[in-house]
Amino acid sequence: MSDVHYAPLPVSEKSHKDSETDKYHTFVNLALGLAAITGVELVLVYLPFNSTFIFTVLLTLSLFKFVAVIAWFMHLLYDKLLLTLAFGTGMAIATGTFIALGSLISRSDVDLDAITGF
Amino acid sequence: MSDTATAHHDDHASLNIDNKKLLMWLFLGSDCMFFGTLISTHLIYRKIYPESFDPTSLFSLELTSFSTFILLMSSFLMALAVSAMHKGELKSFRRNVLGVIFFGLIFLGCQVYEFAHFVHEGLTLSTNTFGSTFYMMTGTHGVHVAIGVFWLICMYFYSHTGKMDAHESAVDVEIAGLYWHFVDIVWIVIFTAVYLIEFI
Repeated sequence: MSDVHYAPLPVSEKSHKDSETDKYHTFVNLALGLAAITGVELVLVYLPFNSTFIFTVLLTLSLFKFVAVIAWFMHLLYDKLLLTLAFGTGMAIATGTFIALGSLISRSDVDLDAITGF
Repeated sequence: MSDTATAHHDDHASLNIDNKKLLMWLFLGSDCMFFGTLISTHLIYRKIYPESFDPTSLFSLELTSFSTFILLMSSFLMALAVSAMHKGELKSFRRNVLGVIFFGLIFLGCQVYEFAHFVHEGLTLSTNTFGSTFYMMTGTHGVHVAIGVFWLICMYFYSHTGKMDAHESAVDVEIAGLYWHFVDIVWIVIFTAVYLIEFI
């Protein structure tokens, strides 16, 4: 009995144009989502909710917008990890600077009269 | 074909990434630190001197939300322009880039209007620390937008010279796009951290 060799059927790869069309739909959905989030943010600050709740929601929504633009519009989701690291390092230092300055500097460290006429 | 694949075995690509693209991401990382410092300075002064100034009567959230919407839509058009260039559709690229330029100019117009209104109301760069840090931060962002608009105008006119090859120039367009999207994400942070939070 002869050996039977099964070869997998050739799978047609998605063409470059098809993948760009897929991205187009992602971009449209994302743009609509981002516009809607901006609308929600605008309405939210006028609503009579607890300020901590509003602050947390605003922070979450803007973080989502921030990450969404980087991931899809800036293509980072489809690119090499090294690019994420290059940008992420800058982001981490910026966030670290904010946290460090925020926790180190207090009212007593600033002589406001010396720097403004206020 | 992915960018990585085109960059493979290319003199202009290290680590299978186009050198220009890698440099742009590094620049954006450093720009993050720059804007991080400006935004931090503003927020820390607001935290330690909350009574120094109340901007709620001055800020127009409707105008700022409109600016945010405009910038987000320009980012969408920029993504389409980059996609069109990858597909080799030069006409579509030009149409989308014109849209980005138009939206960028609207954003700048809104900012100039806002600044003029604030100055008219008595808030200048030297009025108080709020004025100093606010104008410094939003002004620097505005300059970034203006540079982006100028860059895209140059790119638009360059596309008419016939020297712009759809596939060769795709990386250049992508880099301009990265810069534009970065300007957008900085504004997302400023919109929430500087404008919206004041109204809570």
